[in-house]
Amino acid sequence: MKWLRRKSREDELERELQTHLQLEAEELRERGVPSAEARYAARRALGNITATKEEVRRMWGWSLLEVLFAEIRYALRNMRKNSGFAALVVLTLTLAIGASTAVFTLVDSVLLKPLSFRESGQLVVAWEHVRFMGGDPVGPNPKHVEEWRKRTSAFTALASFLRWQSAFASGPDRPRLTGSVLCSPNLFDVLEVQPLLGRLFQPRDGVKGQDNVAVLSHSGWRTLFDSDPRVIGRTIRVDDNPVEIVGILPPDFHFPAPNSLRAFVQTQASAAAEEPLFMPAVMDYAGMEWAGNYGNWVTVGRLKPGASIREAESQINGIQRQLAVESMGIRPDQAATAVTALLQPMQAAVSETSGPTLWFLMAAVLGLMLIACVNLANAQLGRALARGRDVALRTALGAAKWRLLWNGLAESLVLSAIGGVSGVLLAAAVLRLIASSPSIDLPRLAEIRLNGNVLLFAAALTIAATLLSGLFPALRVIRADPQAFLQGGGGRTSYGSASGSRLRSWLIGLQAFGGVTLLLVTLLFAKSLFHLLTQDKGFDPRGAAIAVVKIPGKPFEAPQSRVDFIETVLRGLRALPGVESAGFVSRTPLDGESWIESLQRVDRPEMDGIIVNARWVSPGYFEATRQRLIAGRFFEERDRNLDSAVISEAAAKALWGNASPIGMQAHLLGRKQTVIGVVADSRITSLKTKPAKVAYVHYQYRTPYSASFIVRGAAVDGLMPGIRQAVWNASPLVAIARLKTFDAQLTDSLARERLQTLVLTSFATAALLLAMLGIHGVLSYLVAARKQEIGVRMALGASKARVYRLTLAQAGTPVCIGLMAGLAASAFAGGALRKFLYGVEPVDPAVMALTAALFIAAATVAALLPARRAASVDPIEALRAE
Amino acid sequence: MPKESTDRIQLLQGTLDMLILRTLIQGPAHGHQIAKHIQRSTDDLLQVEHGSLYPALHRLERKGWIGAKWEPAGKDLKREFKYYRLTPAGRKQLRAEESKWKMLTSAVARIMWPVEES
Repeated sequence: MKWLRRKSREDELERELQTHLQLEAEELRERGVPSAEARYAARRALGNITATKEEVRRMWGWSLLEVLFAEIRYALRNMRKNSGFAALVVLTLTLAIGASTAVFTLVDSVLLKPLSFRESGQLVVAWEHVRFMGGDPVGPNPKHVEEWRKRTSAFTALASFLRWQSAFASGPDRPRLTGSVLCSPNLFDVLEVQPLLGRLFQPRDGVKGQDNVAVLSHSGWRTLFDSDPRVIGRTIRVDDNPVEIVGILPPDFHFPAPNSLRAFVQTQASAAAEEPLFMPAVMDYAGMEWAGNYGNWVTVGRLKPGASIREAESQINGIQRQLAVESMGIRPDQAATAVTALLQPMQAAVSETSGPTLWFLMAAVLGLMLIACVNLANAQLGRALARGRDVALRTALGAAKWRLLWNGLAESLVLSAIGGVSGVLLAAAVLRLIASSPSIDLPRLAEIRLNGNVLLFAAALTIAATLLSGLFPALRVIRADPQAFLQGGGGRTSYGSASGSRLRSWLIGLQAFGGVTLLLVTLLFAKSLFHLLTQDKGFDPRGAAIAVVKIPGKPFEAPQSRVDFIETVLRGLRALPGVESAGFVSRTPLDGESWIESLQRVDRPEMDGIIVNARWVSPGYFEATRQRLIAGRFFEERDRNLDSAVISEAAAKALWGNASPIGMQAHLLGRKQTVIGVVADSRITSLKTKPAKVAYVHYQYRTPYSASFIVRGAAVDGLMPGIRQAVWNASPLVAIARLKTFDAQLTDSLARERLQTLVLTSFATAALLLAMLGIHGVLSYLVAARKQEIGVRMALGASKARVYRLTLAQAGTPVCIGLMAGLAASAFAGGALRKFLYGVEPVDPAVMALTAALFIAAATVAALLPARRAASVDPIEALRAE
Repeated sequence: MPKESTDRIQLLQGTLDMLILRTLIQGPAHGHQIAKHIQRSTDDLLQVEHGSLYPALHRLERKGWIGAKWEPAGKDLKREFKYYRLTPAGRKQLRAEESKWKMLTSAVARIMWPVEES
């Protein structure tokens, strides 16, 4: 804190010199010199006091900090004079730093930060790759996991869990549907978590008959029970069973949300909220099949300290080969590849689906940041050159280069610092918004927080912004020749100098490059989203509503009771005024693939079966979704006990080729089903994949507990209360999970794509605006600097059109080069984009043309204003000023 | 007093630092004492410009060769002086300056009063 000491040092010096004078005067008096004369003599002996002080001060030297602060004060004074410019810079930086910080917080909280469990690096997730199912790895068969547990040494523990929807009621109120986790009792031992209140699960909780206990997540405790500590020991009803709450999990325990750790990757989860309810699962290994039960359970394990993931994986794969031969009846030569297991660090498993999106957004936002900085550099350059005379004078008087450099940087630093702080505040506000909006499809949403890492990142960005926007102009100014400046009077020599305009051209080009790249990528995403929405879906979501309900287990244990319930609801729905058709389906459309079954021809047992999604439907379902019939017929009332099936076109093709499958028999769900119809392929499971092969059976056979009703009618919004009433009339025990329009279900299933496109659109808009501002700024500046030259040209007969051309050309070349480079770069980077895009190739000539057209239009608009000013220069006036 | 300056010697550039350091080897002293000591030791032959003494002191302090502290002078507790004292670094510097000075004077002497080679 040297600069604070300067004042006291001045005082000390004064005191020191005064004592010297006193002593000298005293000495002279002792020698007999008269008092007044002695004082003067002492003074004379000391010499010029002011000069001495100056000299001493020079000896102290200027400390670095003092200089830095002097320049910052200077910068602040300058900013007050140009408050409009300062506000623009701060606003730009706030937006750029705010956006970057917000996106980085997401990257940090979701991808980088370790999971909230103890020693989370030791946690792994296990998958099985089942050859006959093809495609992605799925959650393993718990019966296999049990063998791993018995026979390997690499894990301290392995636990399995199942995601579920439970109808939950805390009292006599109507049951609500909440997400729940059914887990082996040792799940919390694997995650090494201690309860906040009560206890967590013990081995005996997994014994049939003793499993009516539940543990609440902290947020569940807060939302469902207002954080009431007396909740321990209370009995609630879950799926109409009495269940005792035994414990509360701590607030920092964040179980991976349902959209982040899925047993079956193709399944889409529409809710991202963490499950509030944990219940023990009774693991009946004896009753499980050796082959099957894939993709239902998720298995997490904790590696022993020192055990490597590869080692553990090879151990369990050894067991897999044995099981394949001994228990699954697989030929020994195929055993090695039939069902392989793989392990993945839990952190990677949780974040993998959102990783590419987030990194991609990060790249986009940094691009935006770069554009903003280039813009600021450009603006600062203009101002710095305008201050050139001041700098030239200081150089001529012998100012140190580094001081002038710092002088140029100080203003950028002050502005960046303000922008940085307000950017962080903006980011905090945006993140609060994100964390509280349930439709954002990100895992670990509850863990999103600004932390030290993020603040460091914001600080680094601020410094980078300072350097990028301040260093260029500052370096240019100190390189300027002071003599030329001072002689030129106004410094005209430097305004129009070749190197100055070259730098400007580079900056404009760089900005065009960044802007074009962002714009192109955004348009690709927009086109992809548009494609998803407008492609041939094979069904019609308009004018239909979906009610997703959960039939509780106990009261509806008898299959006939479920059939009766479904029929009652359908009757009620069809009786509603304005309803055209209503149908039942076992799985909500657009919720991804599920109920994977094998479909095999009865007449060709040697032929491999195909994998299909099994769906239970009622008559009226196809009419309600408006799926197209290709051959045969849809379900009718007479199919009730007939074991009939409707299959999708692709499934028919795969099994029967071009022959008609109508009337043929196929093994499905353990029975021979007769194919009565072929329905056109549709994207009913997901808009983002190829149409899945589907086999539909009549709901009366093995009626499932999960139920969705699809209702088509005029004015579907007005039907909602009636639909709700129809369900409740049929049974008060049934919880309605979701009631929404089919269109809403469709947009929800595209939440991630919509978010990406929305964010990118805002980035691209900002980038385009910044680029326009940059071009406008540079051209206005050049026009002002070249006013006299333009005047001379006009006096010599240059037409207005020629002046326009002259001005536009200043920006035209760099913009065009930047445009080309941007288009080329996007084409190169296309490969990385491919996995985000649907129905659009990364190199799309139409999109490229549109990008070019949009950008050139924007650049022209930005350039036109300065060009008009140039063309309206009055030659007489311009020449008179010369 | 202009007469005085004629029979007094202007200090050589850089020697003041050495003289200050040498003075302080006898113990802490304030600015006035240092000036007087140099003057008296040379029978007033070397007139230290008081004006150049203080910048030199501050320079030496900045370089870390001497330290400074405000202390009362002897019994008179009411009056404080800024006492300078030699630091270990200053002691080392003094030795270096001394040997340099010896080399310089002997070199100059050899030219001024050459000794006949025997």
